[in-house]
Amino acid sequence: MSFDTIIEMEDLARHYEMGGVTIKALDGVDIEIGRGEYVSIVGPSGSGKTTLFNMVGGLDRPTRGRVYIDGVDISKLDAYELAWLRCRKIGYIFQTFNLIPVLTAVENVALPTVFAGVPRNEGLKKAEKILTSVGLGERLHHRPLELSAGQQQRVAMARAMANDPAIILADEPTGNLDLNTGMEIIDLLHGLNKTQGMTLVAATHDLKMIKASDRIVWMRDGKIEKIERG
Amino acid sequence: MSGRETERRIRFTLGDALRLGYEYIIRRKNRAIINIAAIALGIAFLSTLLMTDALYRAYALAGGDRLGVETYQYWLMFVALIVSVVGITNAMLIAVYERYREIGTMKCIGAMDRHILLLFLVESFIQGVVGGAAGYIIGLGAAILSTGFGIGFDVILFVPVTDSLGLLASSMVLSTILSVGATLYPAFRAAKLHPVEALSYEL
Ligand SMILES: Nc1ncnc2c1ncn2[C@@H]1O[C@H](COP(=O)(O)OP(=O)(O)O)[C@@H](O)[C@H]1O
Ligand SMILES: [Mg+2]
Repeated sequence: MSFDTIIEMEDLARHYEMGGVTIKALDGVDIEIGRGEYVSIVGPSGSGKTTLFNMVGGLDRPTRGRVYIDGVDISKLDAYELAWLRCRKIGYIFQTFNLIPVLTAVENVALPTVFAGVPRNEGLKKAEKILTSVGLGERLHHRPLELSAGQQQRVAMARAMANDPAIILADEPTGNLDLNTGMEIIDLLHGLNKTQGMTLVAATHDLKMIKASDRIVWMRDGKIEKIERG
Repeated sequence: MSGRETERRIRFTLGDALRLGYEYIIRRKNRAIINIAAIALGIAFLSTLLMTDALYRAYALAGGDRLGVETYQYWLMFVALIVSVVGITNAMLIAVYERYREIGTMKCIGAMDRHILLLFLVESFIQGVVGGAAGYIIGLGAAILSTGFGIGFDVILFVPVTDSLGLLASSMVLSTILSVGATLYPAFRAAKLHPVEALSYEL
């Protein structure tokens, strides 16, 4: 299979200074990810997976190196363009779901469409449709605390998809879920990747997650240890 | 990719902020009630004094003795208003800490600094309006009771309509300004939060 490149990292590094000690959370990562590809990032806790996501997602600035998304160096984006990137181009899924507790499922999913300037009714309709497609059609007006962990993560997935992003970044999406619920989330994500062609980059230290991926990137101590074909 | 992405705009209108701010107030009532009570108390103090003074003046015009509000009471009112402002600033700072993760999340889905700022200011605006109205009503009642026991309840007949409406308007304006002003610093803190720090914050 061949893909044109959507994400490119070039000598990407992020160091933290902690009381005179330099922690190399990420230390020179080079990788190209193709459009529509499903890449799993695997590595022990502390190997730099979350740091890598923060860089690619435009949430933090690297100490060294560059990230290109669709050929654009994201360090060159201004605040507007960065917000646009986070809103429209990338969907984030977190281990801790991070839903807005005061909003219902459908309002949570519609929130990114608000920032994207989609008219309210249209956004809510779309949110309803996506939630139904992840099996939560009966839970539209529940608030996060009224949902199980697996349901909350499905709401978070639906929210990540709300603006049809080209890229989904999932940071240990099954880390807080039991085996079966975790598998359901993985199947849903994989299905999205295949049917909608969304580029999926998922971090995990959960080996059952990586089966379906096109490539597996093994990380250790902020570096890529090896890359395998799935 | 889809060609509809050409319009690179991020939006968060006043209406969006009002809708979201309203949800936060309704769903986190306790926090909102503390703020509303803080502002209402200060405003109640103010409107009690000003209304009492207006009643005394009306009473004097109707031929009664000239009574007055003591200067020290105005100082007390001033202190009460300062205490309200400090209380609100404190409560809003705590609200920012409680919402670290949510602020981080909102930044991940497209919110810009000024949208977070707007959201917090809109919340304090709503609280200021409600607190101002509540404080005014409490103050009006207190003024009528205290003057009523002093110079008789016919005083109600003297309630000066224009004065009391003017006082309502100034109570609302003042409480809104104080509430929004007290929230400026916490709201700036929230807006400037770095998304990664906000997301990794554990309560
Ligand atoms: N804000 C920070 N300050 C200091 N060190 C950090 C910070 N964030 C992450 N680190 C360190 O960077 C390394 C990589 O962390 P992280 O990217 O979270 O790993 P992973 O997601 O693979 O568990 C760890 O050693 C971690 O302690
Ligand atoms: Mg991590």
